[in-house]
Amino acid sequence: MIFEQLSGNLLQGVILGGVYGMATMGLSLIFGVLKVVNVGHGAFIMVGAYVALTLFQTFGVAPPLAVPAAMVIGMALGMVFYYSAIRKLLKGPELASLLATFSCGVILEEVCKQLFTSEARGYNWELGKLDLGFTVLPHAKLLAFGGSALIGILLYLWFHKTRAGMAMRCVVESDEGARVCGIDVDWEYALSFSIGIGLTVVSGVLLTMFIPVGINPYMGGSYTLKAFVIAVLGGLASPYGAFFGGLVFGLIENGSYTLFAQIPGLEPFAMTRFFSFAMLLVILLLRPTGLLKAK
Amino acid sequence: MLTVEKLEAGYGPMQVLWGPDIEIKEGSITSLLGPNGAGKSTLLKTVLGSVAATGGKIRFAGRDITALPSHKRVDLGLTLVPEGKHIFKEMTVFDNLMMGAYRQEARIHRKESLELVYSLFPLLAERKNQKSGTLSGGQQQMVTIGRALMTKPKLIMMDEPSQGLAPKIVLEIFETVEKLKKEIGLTILLVEQNAAASLDAADYVYIMHEGVIKAQGSASKIKASDEIREAYLGL
Repeated sequence: MIFEQLSGNLLQGVILGGVYGMATMGLSLIFGVLKVVNVGHGAFIMVGAYVALTLFQTFGVAPPLAVPAAMVIGMALGMVFYYSAIRKLLKGPELASLLATFSCGVILEEVCKQLFTSEARGYNWELGKLDLGFTVLPHAKLLAFGGSALIGILLYLWFHKTRAGMAMRCVVESDEGARVCGIDVDWEYALSFSIGIGLTVVSGVLLTMFIPVGINPYMGGSYTLKAFVIAVLGGLASPYGAFFGGLVFGLIENGSYTLFAQIPGLEPFAMTRFFSFAMLLVILLLRPTGLLKAK
Repeated sequence: MLTVEKLEAGYGPMQVLWGPDIEIKEGSITSLLGPNGAGKSTLLKTVLGSVAATGGKIRFAGRDITALPSHKRVDLGLTLVPEGKHIFKEMTVFDNLMMGAYRQEARIHRKESLELVYSLFPLLAERKNQKSGTLSGGQQQMVTIGRALMTKPKLIMMDEPSQGLAPKIVLEIFETVEKLKKEIGLTILLVEQNAAASLDAADYVYIMHEGVIKAQGSASKIKASDEIREAYLGL
């Protein structure tokens, strides 16, 4: 009984974890290139959730088709925030860019509250389910997982097989090295911030498959926190490492939830959150560069 | 080929360059000597454009490039072998070299450039698929110089290319620098701690101290001046 429940939950964990991983790629990319921690990360996930919701409810657009729209909206937002708020602060102390990304998040939350009210909403995209006996997987969730994995693979190929992607990796390794090759480092910063935000908004679309009624302007906070844990698991500056970090996180979250639920008197949901962050602390102490990166 | 006039630059409120004038002739090796903190590296970075000039002028190949971003300067044929190498350690030797040919103009000539680099450093051809971070210090320096050559430069600035290398490798680096001038006709601006070897390689020498040029002349003239050697070079 418990094993059936555990294996079912672990499988659910992998599915959700893949999407968590995708939701962290943007954070890792921005940190890797600009060394800026996007504290407003979750607010961009929230924007993606509203993009999916609005397109579905108002225009009847299926969520997978909302992904390109979300990428474009996210990249545009990224460019606007980069040139208005981030660019000038890159040479300043770290606190400056932290406050700036935090403010970007607050602005987005309040704008969305004005546009959509703070009421929690959701939509239901019925695609059918896959019944495995010990657990049931809705097709929509499987699709979100597949989409996340595909985006991860595309990002990997872009970074390793294209000139533009390799130029961005050069900037990650050394600004000065990139400059002497004639790479426009300032543009690479803008582009990576923009792509990072684009990916994050896209992940918001995919995450709506998992939250039937949870879309609200302040939903981003818990995702920001999870993304920090996942980013550290995956090696901080590595976007595809983040994908595997997400898988590990999903497994741990769901596995520990199932196990904590077996202990009478414990509140499993709160314990799971405690466990995740206790893990973050331990990893930071033992391997500050992340679990998956050897360096 | 390169003229620097009354250049001023620094980091935030700290001004480092106080108006040095430098002129570099095509096809020559010019050596910039001086103690630590004299502003030599800052001068090179300002000429490349990674540090912004706050005053003065930089002219290259007949153009005023003072306000040009660094990638446009690389297009014109200017590049730098930076201090501390700054190679892309996670990439293979081959990919490092190819990133040198990133700009359109350099890309067109990448095959010939690669042949040239491999003929100068046959070892890089052998190790082309190796991750460059796993190479020895001297080999990494070859990657840095090779990458600079891939940009199809007219002028290469080198910031301490022999720093931290074994004496035998240092010798090789200086031989390479002279080869680049004689065989390919490159113009080179060399910053070095190794004053004796630099004086041997250079045609013309500038001596920098506290952000200004204190002395200049042909290498033989500087070598002959006891006063300059004692005051600035410790030779």
